[in-house]
Amino acid sequence: MAKNYGAVAALKNTSLSVLPGEVHALMGANGAGKSTLVKILTGAIRHDRGTILVRGKAHLVRSPADARRAGLVSVYQEPSLIPDLDVLANLRLTQTPVEPFRNWVRELGVPDLDMRDNARDVPLAIQRVLDLARALAIEPDVLLLDEMTAALPANLAERVLDVVKRQSRTGRSVIFISHRFVEISALCDRATVLRDGETVGVVDISPGVEERIVELMLGAKIEKARAAQRQATEASAHGEAGTRIAVRNLRVGTKLQDVSFDLKDGEVAGVVALEGQGQDELFAALAGSTKPSGGTIEVDGRQVRFSHPVDAVRAGIAYVPGDRSEALAMQQSVRENIALPFSAAFRNWGPIRMGQERATVQSAIERLQIDTRAQREVQRLSGGNQQKVTIARWIAVDARTILCFDPTRGIDVGTKQEIYKLLRQLAAQGKSVLFYTSELEEIQLACDRAIVIFGGKVVDILPVEIADEPALTRAAYGLPRDAKAAVGILAETASSEGARP
Amino acid sequence: MRMLAKFGLAAIAAGLFAGTAMAQGTYTIGVSNTVQGNGWREEMICAIKAQALASGKVAKLNIAHRNTDAAGQSEDIRNLISAKVNAIVVNPADPAGIQAALAEATAAGITVVAVDQAVTEPSAYIISNNQEQYAYLGAKWLFEQMGGKGNVVYMRGAAGASADSDRDKGFKKALAEFPDVKVAQETFTGWQQDQGKQQILDYIATGVPFDGIWTSGIDNVIVDALVESQATLVPVVGADNAGFVGQLNSVEGLKGAAVTNPGSIGGAGVTLALQILEGQKPAQQTVLVEPQLWENVTDEGKAKLKGAADPSLSPEWPVSISIPDWTTYTKEQIVACKGPGE
Amino acid sequence: MRFLRQHGWVAGLFALFVVLFILTKIIQPGYGAGDFGSLVRAVLPYAFVVAAQTVVVIAGGIDLSVASMMALTSVTAASMMAGASEEYALFVVPFVLALGFALGALNGILIVVTRVPDIVVTLATLFMLQGAALLVLGAPGGGAAEWLKNLIIGTVPLPGIPDGLTTWIPKALVLMVVLLCIVWIPLMRSRLGLSIYAIGSNQLAAFRSGVPVARTKILAYAIAGLFGAMGGLSLTMSTGIGAPIPGPYLLASVAAVVLGGVALGGGKGGLLGPIVAVFVLRLVRTDLTLLAIDPNVTAIVEGTIMVAVVMFGAFIVMRSRSS
Repeated sequence: MAKNYGAVAALKNTSLSVLPGEVHALMGANGAGKSTLVKILTGAIRHDRGTILVRGKAHLVRSPADARRAGLVSVYQEPSLIPDLDVLANLRLTQTPVEPFRNWVRELGVPDLDMRDNARDVPLAIQRVLDLARALAIEPDVLLLDEMTAALPANLAERVLDVVKRQSRTGRSVIFISHRFVEISALCDRATVLRDGETVGVVDISPGVEERIVELMLGAKIEKARAAQRQATEASAHGEAGTRIAVRNLRVGTKLQDVSFDLKDGEVAGVVALEGQGQDELFAALAGSTKPSGGTIEVDGRQVRFSHPVDAVRAGIAYVPGDRSEALAMQQSVRENIALPFSAAFRNWGPIRMGQERATVQSAIERLQIDTRAQREVQRLSGGNQQKVTIARWIAVDARTILCFDPTRGIDVGTKQEIYKLLRQLAAQGKSVLFYTSELEEIQLACDRAIVIFGGKVVDILPVEIADEPALTRAAYGLPRDAKAAVGILAETASSEGARP
Repeated sequence: MRMLAKFGLAAIAAGLFAGTAMAQGTYTIGVSNTVQGNGWREEMICAIKAQALASGKVAKLNIAHRNTDAAGQSEDIRNLISAKVNAIVVNPADPAGIQAALAEATAAGITVVAVDQAVTEPSAYIISNNQEQYAYLGAKWLFEQMGGKGNVVYMRGAAGASADSDRDKGFKKALAEFPDVKVAQETFTGWQQDQGKQQILDYIATGVPFDGIWTSGIDNVIVDALVESQATLVPVVGADNAGFVGQLNSVEGLKGAAVTNPGSIGGAGVTLALQILEGQKPAQQTVLVEPQLWENVTDEGKAKLKGAADPSLSPEWPVSISIPDWTTYTKEQIVACKGPGE
Repeated sequence: MRFLRQHGWVAGLFALFVVLFILTKIIQPGYGAGDFGSLVRAVLPYAFVVAAQTVVVIAGGIDLSVASMMALTSVTAASMMAGASEEYALFVVPFVLALGFALGALNGILIVVTRVPDIVVTLATLFMLQGAALLVLGAPGGGAAEWLKNLIIGTVPLPGIPDGLTTWIPKALVLMVVLLCIVWIPLMRSRLGLSIYAIGSNQLAAFRSGVPVARTKILAYAIAGLFGAMGGLSLTMSTGIGAPIPGPYLLASVAAVVLGGVALGGGKGGLLGPIVAVFVLRLVRTDLTLLAIDPNVTAIVEGTIMVAVVMFGAFIVMRSRSS
């Protein structure tokens, strides 16, 4: 099976070939093109160039139904049962034979499924198992599993891996996407590694191969990152600073399980995580838009409980989302957008003091060097300038803590630099910044420390000196910090698998 | 909730029965009307209530009054049949569309009186203002004022209403007598004030000259529009609505005429229904009330207008709040708008 | 237990209808079979327009053009039948139904192709259809074949069943049940029916399950158009004319859909609930007329009942979730 894809260069030149009876891992850093490839293989989006061959025969895959006919069936990260139909109707919808489905469900460790229950009423973990059983029941040639075990409790996950393994023995193929090396080494035969939309290597899974995979995922970046290391002098200057926010054993939903860290005054702390490791929930909890299910958040030594984003704003915590359209009123002017939080949240419907507002806004614009030629409508600004506006509004209200969630996504390099500079300036003024980024090299460009989250937990906190891309990548995949000596890690991690909660 | 609703309705029912027990009279009269929130129709309802009270013969009024179509009115009429009323006074949404329901009412022994507009059901009695004459009188006066030539703006009522098509006949009849008068613009106001005003403002904005305006009763807002936009005050013909009559008396330089179209026809309908119930059937199925024209050009006309003006009424209400021989209530009664037992 | 959970809402509505019916009997002891026939005839156009709205809402959309669709199909039927022979109506009826289906499909195609939200597209078609209706008939008029009008008058004489019972089965009720079932039951048994629920419940999941989302949406609107045409025909049947200005059917359809337990977000509910809801709403109107309550109050009462029932339902659902 081979495929090329042009357009916005999400995929440039990617090929993936899977042998019969093989479990094949598909790997790559965030944004390498994994999800695009999966979408193409399952017919969710169309490719511009290239072909899909199943057992040597070319197939046109233009919809999920086409993919199914070609023998490609996938299980997605989110459950894809129709929530308002019962299980039986869901099977009828996809024309899945019921008896094999029932057998697979039992096999997968769910003995007491009531087929007349609405999918909505089935627990999330079980829904994923049902998704898998539904896929297995139609006996696909190629089964595509996207982060299948992510939301599963350990006993179910084990069963699932077991079933997948056996599936491959019947001569069918499995494409397995996972961030967990432990699972990959236990299950997969080979791995294809993607980087920047290209296939950079196909490796056999054998002990010690993780290092090779990490190298492939990063490519030449390893050397480059070392060169870009920032001087540590600036960072260490804040050693004596007070603690602004203390997070202890924070839990949010099922994704964020146990997170503790401190955020100091005058510090930029980076957060590093693969997609979906609980970072969204962490930021939402700190910004007051989600209620934590356990643990505590302290601000300036006092425990707080946010029930609404306004509470967080009152505590001096400002949230800058990655998706700028979430934060900005696109048709309004720059001035109005900057003035929005303090006229809305702090004045409580009272009259807006025009003169004062104008002065504050003007100083914020100047400090940020926002290009104001197009200030009548925010939507006409460039992405970088839009992002500056979202940050500026919080400077205007003098927020002491700024939560930046991937603020540089899709922004040109020059503006990125300005945003790093801005974050450093804010820190120098004693403000504290929590900065999640999906681009690992930004940690060393802007941060003092890196907090690495994996599987909903803080797995490491790295000082900036050693937080280069390879180290962060390793940590983000849950590998131990000094894993240079490849031999033995697998044995070590494999043995700890049973102890996983 | 269900229990609550039940008790609530039961309580309302109990209150109503207690109320009706005190009233005089024996008959129950049902009313069906399908335009809500229109001044003329509100006066019609109030006239029905006042006449029912003044007659002393009506125990209870059963009023189905909402905005709906012919199918909805049929539903209301059938509900009134279920309520076992003695007579139904109906202002039809459509002359033909409610024929089946009216026939059922007659079959159930109920006297049916259509007011304001005709119906096709032959068993129903009709008491109505003479709409053809209404339009003819006003249009003829207007064309005379225009000197028998020029452009007229023709602002009709609601498309398809029988009153509107009857008036159209009268208007066309007058138009035929004045071959040099041209219709510059024809619009349907739907008998809605805001709609009519917008239409004339739009027309003024086109800058096309016009020499007179004939309206189907949406009149005072038209004068307002002419004054506000400082357009030439051309002669305007309207109905005897209180606001328009007031304008004819007070607006400097306005020439115009009001043609009576009493909303109190509803009260006349009640009187006719009661007469039939007591055995005095009219000679013909259809009774027409002839309109009058009051203009502000001659002294005689001015005097009539002065006498008719009544600033205490809502501007949308016709000033002819009673019809001689047909209504017996007082002005206080119709303004109070209370029926028997209220 | 599951039956109650899945059909509890409809059962509750039906109980409400029975209570209202008993209440009607108390208010007006003479309320009988003929009056029930009147109720059914009043329900008829509402039932079809509600069915139209139900299909679309279950598919996750909303159709603001239903009332205009009724008006257009009604005037088309009335103007074609005016002065024509009785047999000609045999041709008119299927033609008008096909017209409704096609115009409904056009709604769906516009929504799918332009990707403009359905509320905007159907608002636009509301005006287009209304304008078209006025072109067909500038004022209420036209006619209807006698046999068509007679379809909803009287009762159905069924051999072997005592007269006392058949008087309670008006022709209009039979017609309504038959027409709704002819469309609804095969639909629910087909994959299309499942797909309609699926795209309303979760469009992405439906797409991934291999549901042709665009085609399903178009067909849902087309079926709504078909029901709308049935509603338009029923208007012509009951009035004998066609009226180009739509009656109060749009808001009534949304109200009955909500009251009938269909989630406005889509994916949930059935047809029985909204139909029973229409009966409830019409019977409330009857009771208010029988009680001779101030007409300006009746609208408030109707609205209050709706809010109260929906809130009560939401409360019950919340209670059963938390327990």
